[in-house]
Order: sequence, then C-alpha cells, then structure tokens
Amino acid sequence: MSAFTCSSNADLAAYWLGELDATDAADIETHVFGCDHCSGRLQNLVRLGAGIRQATVAGALHAVLSPDFVRRMQDDGLRVREYRLQPGTSVACTIAPDDDLVVSHLQAALADVERLDLVFEDPDAGTQLRMQDLAFDRAADGVVLASNTRYLRQLDTATRRVRLLAVQEGGDRELGTYTFNHSRYGA
Amino acid sequence: MHEVAPVPDDSELARRIVAAGTHHDATAEAELCRRFAPRIRLYGLRHLRSDAAAADLVQDVLLMTLQKLRAGAVRELDKLASFILGTCRQTVIDGRRSGGRRERLLDTFSPSFDIASEDSDTALDSGRLESCLQHLPERERSVLVMTFYDDRPADEVGTALGLTPGNVRVIRHRGIERLRRCVEEQTS
Repeated sequence: MSAFTCSSNADLAAYWLGELDATDAADIETHVFGCDHCSGRLQNLVRLGAGIRQATVAGALHAVLSPDFVRRMQDDGLRVREYRLQPGTSVACTIAPDDDLVVSHLQAALADVERLDLVFEDPDAGTQLRMQDLAFDRAADGVVLASNTRYLRQLDTATRRVRLLAVQEGGDRELGTYTFNHSRYGA
Repeated sequence: MHEVAPVPDDSELARRIVAAGTHHDATAEAELCRRFAPRIRLYGLRHLRSDAAAADLVQDVLLMTLQKLRAGAVRELDKLASFILGTCRQTVIDGRRSGGRRERLLDTFSPSFDIASEDSDTALDSGRLESCLQHLPERERSVLVMTFYDDRPADEVGTALGLTPGNVRVIRHRGIERLRRCVEEQTS
C-alpha cells in the first residue's frame, strides 16, 4: 500500500475500525494526516458513525440486533425494556418515560432457515410492513427486534402483531406469530 | 475584480511562523491550527476513543508544534504534516499530561486556539439521518448500528449476526455509501 495513494472509503473504514495490520494502518494514517481530501473523507465517515450512534441511543430506529449488543448497551447505562416471546404468544407491553430502548426477543427455530423476513402488522388498520432479508444467526434461538421508541411513545392502547417468515422455494413458512398488546405507561 | 490570495501550503505556513519567531505571525498560526486541528482530533479519536482525550491531544500537539516552530526547532519544514503526526504518536505513547505546563502555554498561544477550538466536526441533521437509516435494507441497518455504536470490527459484528467478516465489510460498505448518498440528496 503506497503512502502516496488516496485510500478507498472501504480502507478508511477498515482503518478506523482497527481491522488492518499495523503496517497498513500506519501507511493509511500517514497518508490521511497529510492529505486534505482523505482527512475530509475520514471526518465525514466519523461524523456519519457518530450520527448512527446517536440515533441508536435515542431509540430512533427499528432494527434487528443481537443479544450481546443489547447487553453492551445495558452495560453502558442505557435503560432497555425487554420482552421475551415464544411463537404464538402475546405480551402486555408499554414504554416508560425513562426507557431508552424497547427490545423484543422473538424465539424461533432458525437452524434451517436460509432467508428470514419479518412482517409487522397493525390489525386495526389492516396494514403491514415487511422487513426483508434480516441478518440473523442460525445458531441463535431467535432474533432481537429493537422498536422505534418515538413510534411507541405516540401509541395509545393498541395491538400489533409480528410474524417471522422463513422465505424458501415454494413459499413462505411461518416460524411464529407474536402479539403485542400495548398500553400507555401507567394507564 | 478581486484576486483571491493563494492558500499557503504547509511548508510556507511553517516558514512564516519560523520567520516571525517571537513576533508571532498570528494569521499563519491560526491557519495552521485550523488546518491540523481536525486531523489531530481524528488521530486522537482513533487511538484514544474518547472525545475529551482527543480534545486534549489537539491542544497538546498544536502547542508543541507552535512552540517548536517559533523556536526554529523544526528541522524539515517541508514535512510539517509528518512532524505533527510524529508529535501525535509520541504524545499518545508518553501519555503526558501536564496541567500547569498546558495552562502556561495556552496563555501564550490563546489567539491561535480560538480558531482551533471551533467545532469543525459539524453534526449531521439528526432527523435526516434517522430517516435515511430507516430506509436502508434491514441487513445494512443492523450492520451499521452494531458497527458504529461503539466502533466494532467486522469479525465481531459477523459473529453476532451469523455473517462472515468479508460479508460484513461488503454490507457495511454498501450501507455507508447508501446512507451518505441519502443524506447528501436530502441536503441538496
């Protein structure tokens, strides 16, 4: 790797995240430090990363995460409300004023699943949102779904249903349906 | 029609500061601080993983650099960036933090630091970024969140999500580019 060559965005990310060996990291660092263009691109990447972190901490997005990741956030002092559901079960749920995040552990047998989709249903409105091709660990006993806390906070009493689907030749195979009976905190 | 003054390169800045010596070329010193403060901060964040420690590093390194330049103690003025990077590395290795010394130096160099301490890392519009994040494909959002929450490498994220490190890097790269484009499009 030449010290005089501008780095690709992928290399800058690898450098930033500590994935390179010491020699390659030092080469990129030396080049970036002396290059306006590359230091600007690295700064943009770092700014983007900081924005993603802030959105995560603010609970401002829904996303499939891992149990270890949820534990790291708890170790960092975030208040995480957790629900655990077996397929075909329901839970009474809410979000407290001081909750930072709400996550649901959806138990399912994933060992032979090639592609996993999640369908989020509002039975009252008759609408559904399909989250396609989730990242998941086949060795795990389910997936962890973080909900958008801003969405939850504006919900009154409501029922929402989540279905996990194994996508395979010949059609979808349902792995489980999970029902959330939401009410406002303290109601 | 006004002619735009050419932007001095690093070595010219260094020469002006050296030539001024104790009389101080405030403009050149301020430009040096403006130019290198963000790079030193990035170095600090990368190696110290702390905003506060990175901010301290910016001050320490700029102080030492200006002090050496004023004293004519930088040998290769054509390699100013290398000198400053070397100072970053040595400062982190030494871990030296001398409060009294820093206060004295800050008093001496305060005009330059008024500019260097400006927040050059302007935050993104959080609403716009959140909207763009929500529109990413699911895998990309999971990988980006689990990567950048606390800057984790691909192998760790891959282990947690049942993906290979190579697959994580590909998803991560696509996600970053898609997110960047989305934020830029909404900005323009």
